[in-house]
Amino acid sequence: MDFELSPVEKDLREAVKGFARRELAAVAEKMDREEYFPSEVFRQAGSLGFLGASLPEENGGSGLGYLAQAVVLEELARVSPAFALTVGAHSNLCADNLARNGTPEQRKRYVAPLASGEKIGALGLTEPESGSDALSLRTKAEKRGNHYVLNGSKLFITNGPVADILLVYAKTDPARGSRGISAFIVEKEYAGFSVSRKLDKMGMRGSPTGELSLENVEVPAENLVGKENEGAKVVMSGLNVERAVLSAIPVGITEECLSLSLDYARQRRQFGAPIGSFQLIQEKLANMYAQALSSRLLLYHALDSVTRDKRRNRDASTALTYVSEASTRVALDAIQIFGGNGYMRDYPVERLMRDAKLLEIGAGTSEIRRLVVARELLGSLE
Amino acid sequence: MDVLVCVKQVPDPETKLRVAPSGKALDTDGVKFTINNTYDEAMVEEALRMKEEFGFTSVRALSVGPARAEEALRATLAMGADEAVLVETPPGMELDPLFTARLLAAAAADIPHDLVLVGRHAQDDEAGAVGSALGEYLGLPSYSFVTELTPVAASHQLKMRRYLEGGEEVFSGPFPAVLSILKGAKDPRTPTLPNILKARKKPLKKIPVKDLEAKVSVLKGGFQPTSAVTSFTLPPPRSGAKMLEFQTPEEAATKLLKVLKEEAKVL
Ligand SMILES: Cc1cc2nc3c(=O)[nH]c(=O)nc-3n(C[C@H](O)[C@H](O)[C@H](O)COP(=O)(O)OP(=O)(O)OC[C@H]3O[C@@H](n4cnc5c(N)ncnc54)[C@H](O)[C@@H]3O)c2cc1C
Repeated sequence: MDFELSPVEKDLREAVKGFARRELAAVAEKMDREEYFPSEVFRQAGSLGFLGASLPEENGGSGLGYLAQAVVLEELARVSPAFALTVGAHSNLCADNLARNGTPEQRKRYVAPLASGEKIGALGLTEPESGSDALSLRTKAEKRGNHYVLNGSKLFITNGPVADILLVYAKTDPARGSRGISAFIVEKEYAGFSVSRKLDKMGMRGSPTGELSLENVEVPAENLVGKENEGAKVVMSGLNVERAVLSAIPVGITEECLSLSLDYARQRRQFGAPIGSFQLIQEKLANMYAQALSSRLLLYHALDSVTRDKRRNRDASTALTYVSEASTRVALDAIQIFGGNGYMRDYPVERLMRDAKLLEIGAGTSEIRRLVVARELLGSLE
Repeated sequence: MDVLVCVKQVPDPETKLRVAPSGKALDTDGVKFTINNTYDEAMVEEALRMKEEFGFTSVRALSVGPARAEEALRATLAMGADEAVLVETPPGMELDPLFTARLLAAAAADIPHDLVLVGRHAQDDEAGAVGSALGEYLGLPSYSFVTELTPVAASHQLKMRRYLEGGEEVFSGPFPAVLSILKGAKDPRTPTLPNILKARKKPLKKIPVKDLEAKVSVLKGGFQPTSAVTSFTLPPPRSGAKMLEFQTPEEAATKLLKVLKEEAKVL
């Protein structure tokens, strides 16, 4: 078994790391304090090719696997998990989904500007009345001539307030329930589309989250992604890839918390010795390392699993459930190791903790992911 | 115009360094090597900036080092260099700055070059001696600690800048030449992912060091290191800071003075 990244993935990691420590670090705090979205840094990431690592070459991407995308997200998350989340929603939830399910024309028109960062992407599944029960969504799409007319609203949409291109799920046949869902590409310029609210969050601040409103939005029929009424398949396979790839964000948070804690434990002295010499601190560090290591292995395993089979739920869901809960625990331990400083905004660990909590909720909550895993393991009962 | 950039792979500044059992070198076992020396990155950026600005023919990269130094060259190719040559040394082979300069000179003889650029110094041994020695072995003038350069092709002159403590010097001299670059006009670029991929396919020639033996042997100093390290120690660990407690600025100054006189003995 080979745990080494390929030479290209290693170079990519170094390049993203340098970029994140230079360009992103300069705005990370401002993002958090002011819910500021750094559009310039986002475009730079696009022109460096970091947004299109896994997208097809013919659509302006680099044609690498999901591991490359995860490497990008991990290095970004070490500096700003919020920026990594925005990139994850853009590159994976929106662009990769379109690249997998779109027609050649749709890919040409929409994936290329997403790969370059010229346009910003988002995915709209969640609604005010359908969160965990995602397939009960109420947004409606009615076919009228060459158009579908969309009506409804979407809640908690990452990049919603800044997105140019949105992949939106709606019911084309509400009577058929989850078998009546279809996916559409919506452009922000379409009449009737609007951002009704920009949301104020606990963490992941600076990754803009919004509530979107669709009022008689006319979407050209050629913007239907996949087959009519077969959107549930797109949702479910998309969720597996999303859970595997987004696992890289908690992995980055955990690594950063561990590395910051090690530095602090070496430097901070109490009772005449570095606090790292106290066994109660050492225990925390050793446990943090164990969680960092298991998180990384689960991430790599899940990426491999969804690359082979996008319908297999258990590995991606297990990975994101474990790594997200681990990152919250590790971030809390980092705050404890930093003592009073950990509780202060002058140090990044409290921000990392607030950011970490999101991955236990977004992309399906930990509870739902566990249900998904157990149901697949059990198979049909009776 | 052809530019040749000489790069060196160095240990990652974050890696933990140990002295080898010989007591004369760094223990490279388990040491993570960075892709490139930071000062070399600044120098490569300056070469690429000139290529883009003045329409140079090519930027080629050259390194002397073990097989792993290929990664430093690939990183240079990813930044935008066109071709690379690695003079590959066998494991354990000892080099010093002058021997390295002779090997670079021998290899450079077969690579077109109007300008040969080196970084101000390597982050590991910080000798900063290769550039001027290389000029000597190539029979070219060498200019050190240059911050920005502009070639004037018609007169075969270089206009160069050099920062001085509190000032700046602009000077000129003929080329072909060897230059050590303190820092370029621009910050080093981040390689784009497409360029990282292309770099894996760009030509990289490996020359076993033995192949240069004949050429190097005729140079003054010959095919062996000129100097030898007799001992190597890491800097002593820094002792912890001492915090003084005080109520008033006067008290702080009195206590500080006492410590500086009696404990640190610097006054
Ligand atoms: C910052 C942020 C960004 C987001 N980005 C996006 C995005 O880009 N696109 C998008 O479509 N969505 C996005 N979401 C939405 C996210 O996917 C949902 O919030 C999530 O799926 C949970 O839905 P809910 O908030 O409605 O919670 P609810 O479904 O109301 O859940 C409330 C609680 O009940 C539990 N629960 C629900 N059902 C069960 C059950 N059957 N068994 C046990 N427990 C259960 C849940 O686990 C949870 O603890 C984002 C959310 C946030 C906070």
